[in-house]
Amino acid sequence: MAKFFDKLFPRSAILVLVLLTLGAVVGFAVVGHLVTRYNANQQARGRRLYAQGLADLTSGNPNKALEELRAAVTCDRSNSQYQLSLGRALRDTGRLDEAESYLESLWQRTPEDGTINLALARVAARRGSINDALRYYHNAMYGIWPSDADGNRRKAQMELIEFLLQKNDLAEARSELMALAASLPLNPTLELRTAELMEQAQDYSDALAECERVLHIDHANPAALAGAGETAYRAGRYRTAQRYLQVAVNANPKDANLRDLLASTNTILQTNPFARRISDAERNRRLATAFEDAGQRLSSCAQQKGISLTFVKPAASSLSPPPGSAPPLASLQSRWLATKPDLRRLRYAEENDLPDVIMDLVFTIEQQTAQDCGEPQDVNHALLLIARDRDTADQ
Amino acid sequence: MNDIIPGSNPVTPASAQPVRLFAPRRLFEAFEGVFDEESFFLILSVFIGIFSGLAVVCFRIAIDWTHLWLLGPFPPVHNWRILAVPSIVGLVVAVLVMHLFPAIRGSGVNQTKAALYIFNGYIPFRTAIGKFLCAALAIGSGQSLGPEDPSLQIGASLASALGRQLKLSREKLRLMAPVGAAAGLAAAFNAPISAVLFVIEEVIGRWSAGILGSVVLSAVASVVVERWFLGSEPIFRIPVTAFKQPAELIAYMVLGIVGGVAAVIFAKAIVFLRPRLKAMPRWTQYFQPAIAGLLIGLIGYFGFPQVMGAGYDYMDQAMHGQYVWQLLATLAALKIVATTLSFVSGTPGGMFAPALFVGAMLGGAVGGIEHLLFPHLVGSTGTYALVGMGVLFAGFLRAPMTSVFMVLEVSGNYEIIVPVIVANTFAYLVSRSLEPIPIFDLLTRQDGLVLPSLEEEREEAILRVEDAMLPAPPIILSAADYIDAAERRIENAAQIVFPVRLQPSGWGVITREQIERRFKEGKGDHTIGSLIPAQPLPSLYPDLPLDSALRFVQSCPIVPVVNRANPQKLEGIVSSQSVFAKYAPPRPD
Repeated sequence: MAKFFDKLFPRSAILVLVLLTLGAVVGFAVVGHLVTRYNANQQARGRRLYAQGLADLTSGNPNKALEELRAAVTCDRSNSQYQLSLGRALRDTGRLDEAESYLESLWQRTPEDGTINLALARVAARRGSINDALRYYHNAMYGIWPSDADGNRRKAQMELIEFLLQKNDLAEARSELMALAASLPLNPTLELRTAELMEQAQDYSDALAECERVLHIDHANPAALAGAGETAYRAGRYRTAQRYLQVAVNANPKDANLRDLLASTNTILQTNPFARRISDAERNRRLATAFEDAGQRLSSCAQQKGISLTFVKPAASSLSPPPGSAPPLASLQSRWLATKPDLRRLRYAEENDLPDVIMDLVFTIEQQTAQDCGEPQDVNHALLLIARDRDTADQ
Repeated sequence: MNDIIPGSNPVTPASAQPVRLFAPRRLFEAFEGVFDEESFFLILSVFIGIFSGLAVVCFRIAIDWTHLWLLGPFPPVHNWRILAVPSIVGLVVAVLVMHLFPAIRGSGVNQTKAALYIFNGYIPFRTAIGKFLCAALAIGSGQSLGPEDPSLQIGASLASALGRQLKLSREKLRLMAPVGAAAGLAAAFNAPISAVLFVIEEVIGRWSAGILGSVVLSAVASVVVERWFLGSEPIFRIPVTAFKQPAELIAYMVLGIVGGVAAVIFAKAIVFLRPRLKAMPRWTQYFQPAIAGLLIGLIGYFGFPQVMGAGYDYMDQAMHGQYVWQLLATLAALKIVATTLSFVSGTPGGMFAPALFVGAMLGGAVGGIEHLLFPHLVGSTGTYALVGMGVLFAGFLRAPMTSVFMVLEVSGNYEIIVPVIVANTFAYLVSRSLEPIPIFDLLTRQDGLVLPSLEEEREEAILRVEDAMLPAPPIILSAADYIDAAERRIENAAQIVFPVRLQPSGWGVITREQIERRFKEGKGDHTIGSLIPAQPLPSLYPDLPLDSALRFVQSCPIVPVVNRANPQKLEGIVSSQSVFAKYAPPRPD
């Protein structure tokens, strides 16, 4: 046999190289065929395992699903869908390192893919890594989506906003919300969801505007009415809140939360001495009542804190604190006592500054007692809210 | 009987050499005018790379197919199959090895090295077939061995067969084995640089610039082929690795020390058990792989199937923090046991992958413990698992350079180069201090062979010309000097031999006796240059190996040692006595 090959084997350099090249070509063809068959076989197995994995994921068997998805990826390493599903399953079972690794390798191949970026953003969000999450969410928002690109981009943006709210990054959340609101289609569900997110981001006026946009299309939308009422209330625009809440309560009288909000709004509007379109007598009555309520609140709070106000003397002026380092409640009591005689001067038209002086003291008392003794109820609560939203309360 | 060429006597390697090797009709008689042998060898290296790459692609597919066919896509834990498959396949492999392919026991690295140094590059083609079949069966059935070393031997065997067929010169035929080995290993591990370094460190055993080009070409060609068919996906997905702060190097140092100790335990276990099992009666060798398979199956049956096979998927998971440190430590220990059992039983397969597995698990475990103790100092355990792979490689296989480049090549991340170097250096030093001889050398010695190794070369103190150099003599003559003037200069000197500076360059030597004789003959008005041969003496440089002086000192009383920057400046001289004195064994005190 050896001699046979010896005779057969050429003695020309060029021919040797040609034969070696031919051998390589034949080798490539044979191995190529083998690899193709092997790959086809593996792909079929991969499809089976992938389907099983998805089924197990749906049926709440994540560990078995992970095994199957891993095996599916091993069978067909180039299949992005398998890797994406495995990455998601790993992420959902808390195996973030491995999930990130699978998704990162997919990302390196198609960094513009919205689905992969969203999956990576969720991993980063699970890790609590704000910068990475922002980067991947933004990539997902501006990335390429196979279908319903606008819807998916919006979904990614809303998810990012929720993540930012969860992380209490309100400024970033608000800027994302502004961008989202600008691109929203006329869709009450989306607008109400946006309003809800704006409310969570404490952007009450924009939330109110979103609700009003919905009401512009559907003026009887109960969710929009409730939302508009609630956001107007939070924005300190109590007259607007009253208008929406009234209609919302009429539409849904069983909603206790709405009823409470309406009651609180009514109290505020009836208590607010700065309300427009009320007579001077009514304004003076409201000022006197507010002053008395504040005095009572101060006494009860001092009692609650074990501070005696019996021997507190009136201050020299209603604006100046008493000499020495008296505790805040005693100091307020001193100022309250000093102001009390001035109430009689309210009836005189030339006392233009007095209502403001009185209400400043009332608001200071309400704020201090809220700080020391907790949130007040009823009228005191109304006075506290008026103190916070003095300029807008009557809007 | 040894594992290298069973039945052959390594002292008389001619019995293993093919007769055709020295056949008169050599290929290059016909190549004259077309290629020289060097050029053809380089081209041939590319073809070796292509063929080895094709073979390794088939080998990897064969392992995968065998594994799927025998054990299925998931490890069948608590299932009789996990016990039966490695045992029955072990029996089949034993029969094949003992009756058909006796030269394929073990990893294949030593066999390739022996082919280079003892058998003139001869590795039977049957070895490639046997290694392919038996290693695929063994690894596919769950024996704790890897595919890299067999791939190395398959590549070497293919290259050797091709070289024989082409009737290359003996010198080139010898080099075919390492060239094929590099190609096989590069394709198996998808890492050409590491493969080249490993072949230089472990197969060739010395730095040789002559073969480097061919080894690199074949390694790159085989990797290209492998990636063509199997894609460029790395074996592992590399975790996000980061080196937090310089103080973290202490943690890597600890990893290096632990890895070094583990590597020695691993090597000692193999070296202790292997000769004992080989010394057992021949009939027991039919059952040794089967019993090893059964024991490994038991480990898998009781919940640790990760130790079966090469285990790349599990290394991948360890690098991504999927295991707690307790499990990682357990897996490292069990893998050492399983691989020792598989290897000493004579099952064909490699130790490359098991070493990486043990390293990854150990690295992850050490990283996990350190992270518990010093959470602010230590980064992710994945990084430690990655570095750990290199640590075991450096400590167990004693290939420090390969270990560093392997981690870098696999991870593609140069951020961790400092931790890798620190950990590997400590592992290497600890391992070397506890066991001076590397595992592959210990195995060859058990087989009764002595092969050169880079480790030995590192130990050797290289003698250089400067070690035997004597100071330049006080009187140096010039070729232009007159004899009577020279006679006056040397009259009262004790010096007998005088270096002569020639014009325009070069050095010669003249003796006192020659000068005095010419002076007495009345030739004082002649120049020194007329007395000495026109051809200058060969000169040496201080940094040359002392061996190079041996060629000249016998024919010349002194040989000048000159400065490389200024050859007219004499640094010193060497004589036969000064050179031989350096080679003389040290006198006992």
